Amino acid sequence: MKVPLVIIGGGLSGLAAAIRCARYSPGVLLLEKHHRPGGLNSYYHRRSYLLETGLHAITNFAPEEAKQAPLNKLLRQLKLRRKNLEIYPQTTSEIHFPGPTSLLFSNDFDTLKSSIEDSFPGSRKAFSELVTALDKQTPFTPAPFRSAKKFILRYLRDEILAQMLLCPLMYYGSSVENDMDLSQFVIMFRSLYQEGMFRPAGTIKDFLDMLCAHLDSLGGTIRCSCGVRKILVKGDKAWGVELDSGEIVECDYILSTAGLSETIEMTGKEDKYRHEMRLGFFESIFLLDGTSCTTLPRDRTIIFFNRKMPFNYGRPDTAVDPASGVLCLPGNFQGRPEQKVLEVRMTHLANYQYWQQLHNDPPAYAEAKEQTAQTSLAVAEDYIGPLKRHITFQDSFTPQTIRKFTSKKQGAIYGCPTKVKDGTIGLANVFIAGTDQGFMGIVGSMLSGVSIVNQHILPRL
Amino acid sequence: MTRDAIQDLIVEIIADIDEDADFDDLNPDKPLRDQLDLDSMDFLDIVMELRKRHQLQIPEEDYPKLATLNSCADYLEPLLKDA
Repeated sequence: MKVPLVIIGGGLSGLAAAIRCARYSPGVLLLEKHHRPGGLNSYYHRRSYLLETGLHAITNFAPEEAKQAPLNKLLRQLKLRRKNLEIYPQTTSEIHFPGPTSLLFSNDFDTLKSSIEDSFPGSRKAFSELVTALDKQTPFTPAPFRSAKKFILRYLRDEILAQMLLCPLMYYGSSVENDMDLSQFVIMFRSLYQEGMFRPAGTIKDFLDMLCAHLDSLGGTIRCSCGVRKILVKGDKAWGVELDSGEIVECDYILSTAGLSETIEMTGKEDKYRHEMRLGFFESIFLLDGTSCTTLPRDRTIIFFNRKMPFNYGRPDTAVDPASGVLCLPGNFQGRPEQKVLEVRMTHLANYQYWQQLHNDPPAYAEAKEQTAQTSLAVAEDYIGPLKRHITFQDSFTPQTIRKFTSKKQGAIYGCPTKVKDGTIGLANVFIAGTDQGFMGIVGSMLSGVSIVNQHILPRL
Repeated sequence: MTRDAIQDLIVEIIADIDEDADFDDLNPDKPLRDQLDLDSMDFLDIVMELRKRHQLQIPEEDYPKLATLNSCADYLEPLLKDA
């Protein structure tokens, strides 16, 4: 079998890349190891529930008329009509730190500005200077790592305010401990604070089904349960891939969304990134009986919290670090129909090695998961009131779970700290896209797939 | 293809990329990108559509020649003379 382009990985970046290519070229083949597409943003069934993985909210909210906004740009590139995509904007989200300190933000940037004026009146001018400085940055031009923290502190003298602003951006996309690359910070600042958050109507399954149907209508093919064992290389070019089944698919180009280190490993070349520290996460989903639980706040979509100063965004030595995290209320998006079952999601930083070792002892692993979920639940109750007696179902995933279903090394959802912005890995016809190319979030990773295809593959196919 | 037909083709391609594009006051000597708020990603779609519809391989170094409606006609007229 020979195709012009093989895409490795059916997550959102791979799907976007496949759709983009299939618009202009027949024979695009997408290979996904898992039995269903979605990658980090997929779903599974337990009892009668459909549970989403990954997706809390999609950043980069934009109104329909903002033509150059990343969301609308992406839809145009994929030839998906914005009018056919029903989206629900967030209500208000919060950044909560110890003491009375709290900041609010919404899809209107003024919410954050006035919240800073209220909580940090002395920093009003400094914040507006920071915003002006960030607006002048050109984050898509490849540049070496620059510390976002240092950059922010040049403007904001208030260390607490700086930590608070960093917290959501780190949790939604930093693969680096206690800092961020400045370019990444600029992109995330825009996508989270200046644009905002939303979610599509329905579930992630509906969104994935829509993308798969679109790819199919353009003549592209998705093969699931089809892992790639090797990228077959001769000289400085790849000539095909070998699947887990032993089957060989020849191709002219390969786009891999499996990750930088993961892709290099497939080529058999030396992987200098394999020892880089990766950040793992632990997430619990609590489903609540909507008729009995009437106290859940309706005016908060996501609460980014930190309970211990200074804020530490780093790999914990223990199972998880419950001192900070993300509390998501997926029911609280404007326009989303009332649900009989309410949902609360809690995320913390976790230690991959701990969960990986424990995994060999299934009862101990299950117990640690349960205990950690209980700890996390108690933290959630501090912010949104009693939950425990309303719970009808709960489940958790560890970095080991993510490793198992997505093949991301150490279950690191934001990948390797090193990002390859031009998408090249030293082979003439193999490119990477997705998380390790450096665009974060769902819109970001999809745009990553699109832009690597535009830059390296479409003009040459 | 005549110059007029080529310009119509470009307008049709852009209308397909952006269904809300407004062509009423289009100046044929001014850059399409500025007038229609297109970026480089949209611009690549024009090139790809020309390839798909007329099997034209436009090299990257020639992309600037498609900047305005008139320059499109100048550049594409000889290439599409039999179309």
